[in-house]
Amino acid sequence: MADHRLAAHRLARRFSATAGVFGVDLHVAAGEIHALVGLNGAGKTTLMRLLLGMLQPDAGTAMINGLDIRTAGPRIWSTVGHLVDAPLAYRDLDTRANLALAARLHGVPRRHTDYTVDDVIAELDLHHYRDIRARHLSQGNLRRVGLAAALQHDPTVIVLDEPTNALDPAGVILLREALLRRAAAGAGILVSSHHLDEVARVADRITVLNHGTVIGALDPAGIDIERSFFALVHTHDQTRLPT
Amino acid sequence: MTGSTFAAALGAERRKTTGARVVATTTVLLVAGVALLAGALTMAATHGNQQVLDQLGPLSNRTGWPLLTGVVAQVTAAAAVLGFGVALGWMFGREFTDGTITGLFALPVSRTTIAAAKIAVYLLWALAVATLLTVLLGVVGLALRLGPLTGDVLAALARQHVLTCLSAVVALPTAWAATLGRGPLPGIATAVGLIVIAQVMVVGGTGAWFPVAAPALWALRPDAVSPVQLTLVATIPLVLLPVLLTTWHRLQLDR
Repeated sequence: MADHRLAAHRLARRFSATAGVFGVDLHVAAGEIHALVGLNGAGKTTLMRLLLGMLQPDAGTAMINGLDIRTAGPRIWSTVGHLVDAPLAYRDLDTRANLALAARLHGVPRRHTDYTVDDVIAELDLHHYRDIRARHLSQGNLRRVGLAAALQHDPTVIVLDEPTNALDPAGVILLREALLRRAAAGAGILVSSHHLDEVARVADRITVLNHGTVIGALDPAGIDIERSFFALVHTHDQTRLPT
Repeated sequence: MTGSTFAAALGAERRKTTGARVVATTTVLLVAGVALLAGALTMAATHGNQQVLDQLGPLSNRTGWPLLTGVVAQVTAAAAVLGFGVALGWMFGREFTDGTITGLFALPVSRTTIAAAKIAVYLLWALAVATLLTVLLGVVGLALRLGPLTGDVLAALARQHVLTCLSAVVALPTAWAATLGRGPLPGIATAVGLIVIAQVMVVGGTGAWFPVAAPALWALRPDAVSPVQLTLVATIPLVLLPVLLTTWHRLQLDR
């Protein structure tokens, strides 16, 4: 348990009979990149929101670095970085101001803010956009700023929902390298994605979610994981059909 | 809420507010707009413009500084609540419409602390707006040659300063409405609603016993409003702030 950066135990949140998350068990170990894949509406974002305290569960618990998030204080939350839905970037502020603001909110001391921001600007190649207001950034560059805000304080728990959405190929490679570096340093990383080939490149484990439940796992080193994915989903859908 | 997390939240909210076009525009409208409008109406009334005199009602009997301070109190009564309500509703509601609210979860700085910092920055900004407006009114009055700044004039300008500050307090419910409605528009609608309700209540005879209307009535006729009636304005933050902070503490992204 102590090795788990992130864990869900029988986590459930029901929106309707068919929508929500229904008793999910999942964990992310230190140094591991764990990918969550599933069709639209499978419950990936809901699960991430439950793990981050954005939603209250109907049942089950979410744990971060071994602690129930209901009792987690500032020390535990300062170890978390996430990008779920929109980036933490304010339209009227430039990239540098947005990153400085995010760094402070993530617990980076004021005296360390400048070099924290400089480092992540270099890491994600945001030099050209450092003085550009968020309202003038492309969707891809805005995504990069959001990822920088989530990663710059070197969190040990990282949760990213569809992080490669809108990124150009160069951005995808930069993100992949940034995640691999952090995993090598001991971070536990949970990412969701529709891109199975991209997931296979970085993930140590791939969990498949369908209709709010975990239905199996894929081998990242497998030869045809797309076929395996659809086979799992199809089999699960067949078991749900009314008789 | 610790000192360091509140300092971080306060710094973030200060940066967001000082960089915001909405807040900059509202500042210009509330300071320069109100002062110039009041100055223009005073000048028109002084020169006997009958249309303006008809609109001013009981104020048309005044001249000089009492006319300017009376006009500006009447304008501020509605404009300040609307202006502050728009800005405050936007400060809270934009987090939902811009999608930045998700980034305010899972932080060492709690959402309660962030909401408290928003209110603190809002009140400091309102204080600055009130001070700038009061100073500009003094300049406008002197430019219109309304007479020397006597003790009575300074007292009237001080009441105007207090009226502007209290208008910001009166507009506090817009923050809760924007939170419940997940966007700035419910906050703006609440500001408009507060103005309308205040007008109806005054016409209906509650007078200064209705806290939303008390500051403006006091600024226009200080002798007609008791200290108890004016103190009742404090019930707005006393009731609203705990409710607002609790709402942010319990916030869920479930819709």
